[in-house]
Amino acid sequence: MLGIVGHVARKEIRQILRDRRSLALILVMPIVLTFLFGKALETGELRNIPSVILNQDSSPESNVIVTAFSTYDEVQIQGEVKTTEEAQELLAQGKVKAAIIIPQGFMQKIEAGEDAQLSLLLDGTDNNSAPIVEGVAQQVIQRYNAERAIRGLWARGVRPDRGRRLIQPVFVQTEIRYNPGLRYLGYVMPGVIGLTLQLLTVMLMAVSITREREKGTLDQIMVTPIRRSELILGKLTPYLGVSLLNVVTILFVADRWFNVPVRERLPLLLGLCVLFVLTSLATGLLISAVSRSQFQAIQIAVFYVLPVFMLSGAYAPIEAIPETIRPVSYLFPLMYFCRAVRAVTLRGAGFFLVWRDLAVLSGFSLVLLYWAVLSFKKRVA
Amino acid sequence: MPMAIETTNLTRCFGAVTAVAGLNLTVRSGEIFGFLGPNGAGKTTTIRMLCGLLLPSGGTARVAGLDVARDVEAIKRIVGYMPQHFSLYGDLTVEENLDFFAGVYRLSGQERRRRVTETLARVGLAERRRDLTEHLSGGLKQRLALGCALVHSPTILFLDEPTAGADPPSRQRIWDLLYGAAAEGRTILVTTHYVEEAERCQTIGFMHRGCFIGSGSPEQCKAEMAEELLEVDARPVMQAATVARKLEGVTGVSIYGHTLRVFAKTATHLRHHLQETLGAQGISVKSIRAVSPTLEDVFMSLTRGVPDGEGRR
Repeated sequence: MLGIVGHVARKEIRQILRDRRSLALILVMPIVLTFLFGKALETGELRNIPSVILNQDSSPESNVIVTAFSTYDEVQIQGEVKTTEEAQELLAQGKVKAAIIIPQGFMQKIEAGEDAQLSLLLDGTDNNSAPIVEGVAQQVIQRYNAERAIRGLWARGVRPDRGRRLIQPVFVQTEIRYNPGLRYLGYVMPGVIGLTLQLLTVMLMAVSITREREKGTLDQIMVTPIRRSELILGKLTPYLGVSLLNVVTILFVADRWFNVPVRERLPLLLGLCVLFVLTSLATGLLISAVSRSQFQAIQIAVFYVLPVFMLSGAYAPIEAIPETIRPVSYLFPLMYFCRAVRAVTLRGAGFFLVWRDLAVLSGFSLVLLYWAVLSFKKRVA
Repeated sequence: MPMAIETTNLTRCFGAVTAVAGLNLTVRSGEIFGFLGPNGAGKTTTIRMLCGLLLPSGGTARVAGLDVARDVEAIKRIVGYMPQHFSLYGDLTVEENLDFFAGVYRLSGQERRRRVTETLARVGLAERRRDLTEHLSGGLKQRLALGCALVHSPTILFLDEPTAGADPPSRQRIWDLLYGAAAEGRTILVTTHYVEEAERCQTIGFMHRGCFIGSGSPEQCKAEMAEELLEVDARPVMQAATVARKLEGVTGVSIYGHTLRVFAKTATHLRHHLQETLGAQGISVKSIRAVSPTLEDVFMSLTRGVPDGEGRR
C-alpha cells in the first residue's frame, strides 16, 4: 500500500518539478495574491469621501459648521460651490458623493430661535458612503448644538462644566478588546489566507487528475491492479507538500507585510492550515471525479470557489447573510477556517478555544477524502 | 486446449447505441488473434471490456478463466493493455515511464530494475532511456507503449491498433516483438484495420456492427468465402466496372489499378457471359481468370452479406 503510494507520489513530484513554468506559478501566485488581496482590503474603512460645500449663508455660524466638517477624515471637502445646480451637477457626474448645504438665513434663524436646517445631498448609488457622510453631519450638528447650549447656559450663569452635565448627563464608555484599532485588515486577513490557499489547491488537484484522464494515461493506470486509494493518496501527497510550502509563504507575507501576529501561535495556525488544505484538496479530487476535461474541471472549480467566497464570511461576517441562506455557509470548510484563524490572530485564542473548528475541519477532510475515493471509479459502468 | 478468452453474448450499449452486440469470441492460449473490422465496429469497446475498463451491459466474458464482471482486479494482474492512442507520460523519460508502470504492477527493488532493463533492451530503446517520451517519434512511442504493456510479463496482451500510422519498417519491428511475446507463450489479442496485418495472425475475427461476421485462420477464411472471384484485365476499367456491376450473378466489383475483381456466386458460368458482354460494349478484355481471394476480398464479401444493423455468426 504505502509502497505504491510513494511510487505514485514520486512520479507526480518528478512531473511537478519538470514543469518549470507551472512550478513558478504555483510558488509565486500565492504570494502575489495574498499581497494584492491584502493591500486591496487594507483600507476597508471608507475615508476621504469627496464632498462639496454650498455655503449660502456665509455667516460666522455657518463658517463654524464648515470648519467642523473639515476636521473629519471621512469626508474630504473638495471646495465650495455657489449654486444648488452646481452641486447637483457635480453629484450627477459622480465627481462628489455628497454636497453639504447651509441655506441662506441659517444664522438668522438660529438667533431668532427658529428651526434652522443643514441640508445634505447624497449619492445613494454608493450605499457605503452615504450613511457615513450622514453620520458625520449628525455628529457635527450634535456637537454644535451642545456647545451652543452650554454657551447659552453660561450666559445665564451656569458654569460650562455644569452646563455640559445638564445637557449630556450620560456618556458611553467603550473599551475595545482585541483588534484595538478596529482594523478591517485584521478581520479580513484570515479570509484572504483561506481564499488564496483554497483557490490554488482546489485547482491544482482537480486539474492534476483530469489531465491524466484527458491524455489517456489514467486508462493506462486503470488497467493495472493499483487500488484507487493508493492512486488518490499518491496524487494527493505531493500536492499537500506544495500547499504546505504555500502555507508557509502566505503566513510569511501576512506576518511581514500585514502585521498579522502569526508567530505567537504558529503550531496552531499551521495545524488549521493543514486541515483546511486537506479539505480543499479533497474538494479538488471530487471535482476531478466528475469532470471529463481540464477545462471542465477549472469551470467547476471557479463555480465552487466564487460562492464560497461570498458565503463563508471571508470578507464580511456571516451574520450579514440573510438567515434563509445562512445554513449554506456552514457547508464550507472556509467558514470554520476563517472563524478559527480570526480567533487565533485577533483574540490570541489557544487550542481550547478553537478545538471545535479544528474538529469540524478534521471531519470535513475525512469525509471529503473518503467520498473522493468512492466517487473515483476504476471502471465505467 | 485451455481458452485464454471466452465471451458469450457479450454486449455493451452506450445509451441507444449498441457498440458490441452479442459477441461470441474464443481465443486459445498462446495464439495471436486478430480483430479485424472497420472503425466503429466495436473492437475497442470489446478490448476495454476485456481488460476491465468498461462494464459489459450484457453477456459474460472470461479472461484466463476469470469473470470480467467479478474478478476484474485479478485479471488486471495478468493482462497487459496498449491503448489505441498513445497514453504514456510525455514529460517523463522512457525509463521513468517503464519504471512507473512496473511499480504500479507491484514490482519492486531488484526485480523491477531487472524487468525495466530487460524491457528497454527488448523494445530497442536502451539508448534512448533518458530521453523525454514526448521527443520520441511515433514508431518509438508505440514500441515504448508495448514495452509498458509487457513490463510485468502478462500472460495475455490486449493491443488496440499497435501499428496505427506506423511506417512499414516500424510495423515490422512491432510484429517481431509480438511474435517474440507469442513465442514465450503469451496470448495476444490485436485489433487492426490493415487487412494485410491480419494475415500475420493465427486466427482472425471479422467484426462488423458489434459482432463477428466470420472467423477462423486466414487460410480458412479465404477457403470458406461464400463467393468466387474473377480477375478481369479490361480497358477502360471504369466502364468495364459499370457494365460488370449490372450483370446478373455478379454480387460485387472492386477496382484495383487496371484490373477488376468480380465477385459471383459461381464464377465458371459468369466468365463467358462477362467476356461477351464486355466485348459487345466495345471494352477490350485482355484476360479473365479465376483467382483465390485475399483477406481483403473476404472482408468485402462478408460485409456485403450483412444487412444494416444485424450480424451473422
